[in-house]
Amino acid sequence: MHIPENYLSPSTCAVLGAAMVPVWKRASANVKREFSKKKMPLLGVGAAFSFLIMMFNLPLPGGTTGHAVGAALISILLGPYAASISVTIALAVQALFFGDGGILALGANAFNLAFIMPFTAHYIYKIMMGRGGNRRNYIAAFLAGYVSLNAAALFTAVELGIQPVLFKDASGMPLYNPYGLSISVPAMMIPHLLVAGVVEGIVTAGVYGYIRKVSGEGLNEGRGLKIRPLYVALIVMIILSPLGLLASGTAWGEWGADEIKSIVGFVPQGMEKGFNFKSSLPDYTVPGFSEHMGYILSGIIGVLIIVFLFMAISAALFIKREVKITDK
Amino acid sequence: MDWLFREDRYEPGSDSLKFIDKSLMSILKILSKIDRLGGQRRGILYGVTPPLKLISTILTVVCVSTSRDATFLLSAGLFVLINLIMLEKSDRKRVLALGITASSFSAVMLIPSMATGNIINSLIIVYKVLLTVSMANILSVSTGWFDVSASLKLLLIPDIFILVLEITLKYIYLLGEISLNMLTALKIRSIGKNNNKYSSISALMGNLFLKSKEMGEELYSAMECRGFTGEYKRVLAFNISRIDAVYAIIVLALTAAYF
Amino acid sequence: MIEIRNISFSYKDAPALKDINLYIAKGESIALIGPNGSGKSTLLKIINGILFPQRGEYFFDGTSITAKRLEDNAFSKKFHKRIGFVFQSSDSQLFNPTVYDEIAFAPRQMGLSEGEIERRVSDLLKLLQIEELRCRVPYHLSGGEKRKVAVASVLAHNPDVLVLDEPMNGLDPKTKRFLRDLLIKLNSHGKTIICSTHDFEYVDGVFKRAVVFSKEHTIIRDDEYGRIISDDEFLYENNIK
Repeated sequence: MHIPENYLSPSTCAVLGAAMVPVWKRASANVKREFSKKKMPLLGVGAAFSFLIMMFNLPLPGGTTGHAVGAALISILLGPYAASISVTIALAVQALFFGDGGILALGANAFNLAFIMPFTAHYIYKIMMGRGGNRRNYIAAFLAGYVSLNAAALFTAVELGIQPVLFKDASGMPLYNPYGLSISVPAMMIPHLLVAGVVEGIVTAGVYGYIRKVSGEGLNEGRGLKIRPLYVALIVMIILSPLGLLASGTAWGEWGADEIKSIVGFVPQGMEKGFNFKSSLPDYTVPGFSEHMGYILSGIIGVLIIVFLFMAISAALFIKREVKITDK
Repeated sequence: MDWLFREDRYEPGSDSLKFIDKSLMSILKILSKIDRLGGQRRGILYGVTPPLKLISTILTVVCVSTSRDATFLLSAGLFVLINLIMLEKSDRKRVLALGITASSFSAVMLIPSMATGNIINSLIIVYKVLLTVSMANILSVSTGWFDVSASLKLLLIPDIFILVLEITLKYIYLLGEISLNMLTALKIRSIGKNNNKYSSISALMGNLFLKSKEMGEELYSAMECRGFTGEYKRVLAFNISRIDAVYAIIVLALTAAYF
Repeated sequence: MIEIRNISFSYKDAPALKDINLYIAKGESIALIGPNGSGKSTLLKIINGILFPQRGEYFFDGTSITAKRLEDNAFSKKFHKRIGFVFQSSDSQLFNPTVYDEIAFAPRQMGLSEGEIERRVSDLLKLLQIEELRCRVPYHLSGGEKRKVAVASVLAHNPDVLVLDEPMNGLDPKTKRFLRDLLIKLNSHGKTIICSTHDFEYVDGVFKRAVVFSKEHTIIRDDEYGRIISDDEFLYENNIK
């Protein structure tokens, strides 16, 4: 999840970092208003908490272990803005003091984990919860964790996947992450959709449930914003940002304008041809096309899996609860 | 009640506790790194004034990441090597271990790409990962952490943000110790088969959150009692010595090689 | 039962225990006494297999306890089943959503039937006089109640040895007296009690033996509890009283 240094081009890092500036600004303004300026120190404790969450390992099928990212949880507990700041600080601490590298990649990591993830989680949670009862809350928390982690993973995959298209040396060899969307998206998404997302969801719902049970307070229920305008903005952002990345990448980078045109121009043309993108044409724009198709396909598959899992999980939770009631 | 007053015959079933051990390990690792917060060390590199070191580190990381010039990358490698030599032995080991782990991980990830002919660029990535991770760790082991955070002032980071960052560092330690105790308590009471590991861990995290909230509020009240009103001034005062001049010249020479 | 041979332990460069020798027989009740930072808690953690000494050996029932041996899951569980540890801070020990679940945590793992678990939990709630806390959330209890729940949750797996780290810390006199009587009762039924303390007011009658630690992290006296506790000069000299 955490993108290491040197896998993204410096320009991508700069673009994503720049995209974070308004988020950070808005987040600090909001947090100042909500927490009151004086309570800012609480954020430090929140950041420490979000840092430590990643240290708790959970058993996975097959005897291995994994950990949750926790940004969804913190978003539900503290609100999306406070979460954004806390996670950013946790990432900065990791890059600066714990030597995971990632000083340059901080902007990109913050974009995925301190923006996409907490905000996706917040909106999913809000929309799902509605005025529902307890059970719905748990499902909402689970889905917030599941979907937001996958959203963050998808962004990560796209950021990594566009690198070989945008940044090549004179002989056409990729300069940074060499794997295109057709590899990076499935490589990121399959484990996240099947395993990591489920872990995130269970942890989010579990901790949420525990805290709710133990203390009604501590949960940031009413806070947040009116859903609709930001919801729309978010969807627009999600659609636009990969495109924006492509565009801004060229402004910085090693690609000429005609080349980007050839990609953009090539997509509809290729679609007419259908799915023959494995035809191993030597022309390098063809793999570009296959990556776009891969992206779109994975996206569709991802959405389907999410819908399917959602149905399965709500059914499972429903049954489990019934059993619990008869138990007592 | 008689059960309590006689001895059990008990044979535990099999169940893996790997997730607890791994969690304990990751937190111990974090704590062992933070422990260096206070320790004063001797050595030339440790004496370089923190703001200079921070800025130089960021500068070199940026240069290394953006450069494709063999001469520059090699001189940067030399620079890292010199830095490494000036570290204490235990620190050097640690920095090297982290750098080598990160770069071998990269190398493994890039094997398929190398197999398809993208060899030079892949090797450059591996090399750059080694350099940047080492640079970051050299800074982290050779500089007091609160000196680094104070130096962020020079990067126009607002004081209040620095305050939050410093509180974060302190509380990673405190909450880390609490987590360690909780995990240990869970471990020694895990004497059989735990059918609901997820709910145990979730509950630990939940407790940790409530505890952090409580501590945060307490901290805030304590700060308020001592006159905190939301304004915070981090004072940045460092002496500049001859070592700093030498260090600055080396870094400048390196940056010159970049252009 | 517990045999400690020439154990030394240090955290980084700070020594916590120096060349400790101690033998504790089954059914003993023993107090570890000493000023802050003399290594009592460290020794308790070693006895519980949480820390491992850098030098020396620790035998539990004739088996040497090492990090390696405790990696064997079955052995580790059997060991921890037989020795219970009440932490100094109850907060780090309690994590279940209700007091009932907290106490039932270990018996559930042992695979006891729900009926048997119900019996154990109810017995313990009665024994510790906290029946009204049954469905409460541990997190919200008072300090004394938390300590009682922590003790109950450890007794639930019926350990042969009960180790307590400063159990009287922060309790009110009534709870202290209650805990004292409980420890006496458990000891009279054959449980081995090991307890660190520097509070002597409410523990009379619990301990038969005391081991005194110096601030230099060594054992300076190992004697009958009554004799040590009446030696005012010695206690004062060593920053205990």
